[in-house]
Amino acid sequence: MAIHGTRLITLSTTTPEPPDHALVARVVAANDALAFGELVRRHQSRVRNFLRHLSGDHATADDLAQDTFLHAWDKLSTYSARGSFIGWLLRVAYTTFLQSRRRAKRYAQILRAAGDDAHAASQGYTRSDDEAPDLDRLLAALTEEEQAIFIMAYACGLSHREIGSAMLMPIGTVKSVIYRGKQKIRTQFDIKDHQHG
Amino acid sequence: MTSKIINMADRERSAADRRLEALFESAPIADDGFTDRVLRRVRRRIWVRRLVLPAAAAIGGALAYEPAMALLRFISRFEVGIPQELRTMPVSLLSSATIAALSVVLLLAVALALRILDEF
Repeated sequence: MAIHGTRLITLSTTTPEPPDHALVARVVAANDALAFGELVRRHQSRVRNFLRHLSGDHATADDLAQDTFLHAWDKLSTYSARGSFIGWLLRVAYTTFLQSRRRAKRYAQILRAAGDDAHAASQGYTRSDDEAPDLDRLLAALTEEEQAIFIMAYACGLSHREIGSAMLMPIGTVKSVIYRGKQKIRTQFDIKDHQHG
Repeated sequence: MTSKIINMADRERSAADRRLEALFESAPIADDGFTDRVLRRVRRRIWVRRLVLPAAAAIGGALAYEPAMALLRFISRFEVGIPQELRTMPVSLLSSATIAALSVVLLLAVALALRILDEF
């Protein structure tokens, strides 16, 4: 009896967190900013980490992360609960990153045309000094798309399925991109596959 | 037995994967007010959207005032049951140039205000 009582108390004191799709439904149905805040709190670390690796600059990444969440707020009704929310969110983040980079490139071109080379050079994304140089060199060996997929897989811990839904590609393609990327890295760095221990 | 197989497969598969994971490894990023900043911008966006419709209605009304009055005057010539007070409305209170200038200023002010609200 006493055990039952304890169990009841334990059950009643632990309120399970609502899943992502339930929070999304609340935001879409009633513009619930608090539910959206909970989604931001849950996923900000992975989104910012993804963008930090991709842009190589913490301040730029955090600005892009804010823009990502604002775009997510605008487009939340397009999220179908079939895929994971973090996969969808990282797709929005990647699109935001690409758009921002295109804008920066265009701006740099305009500055160059105007003869302001010094300012134009500073418009591109540059990695900050506090990042591991190994990681810099490793990412530099990959294409932009491979970089995004590697970061999703190894920094954000997404499954191949989640990466597929984030990058709008079949799982098989994700696997082959990762394989190709690893081959590239293996030829340039001392990272051996099929190595025991 | 199963765990042994999984461990073997895991070791076979992921020597490079583990090295890569270690390279990418970093501590979770602390929120440090990030969520609040995003929510502030979201709330501002909600307000901006609420303002857009009334602002558009006000500007549209200002722009359409004179042509609507002219139309009313034109229709009133045909004596089709338009109230007397509407027919004799002092349209000439504001000159058309003043109305146009006011509309442009209003349009610019609202556009600027919306832009500022959306940015911060």
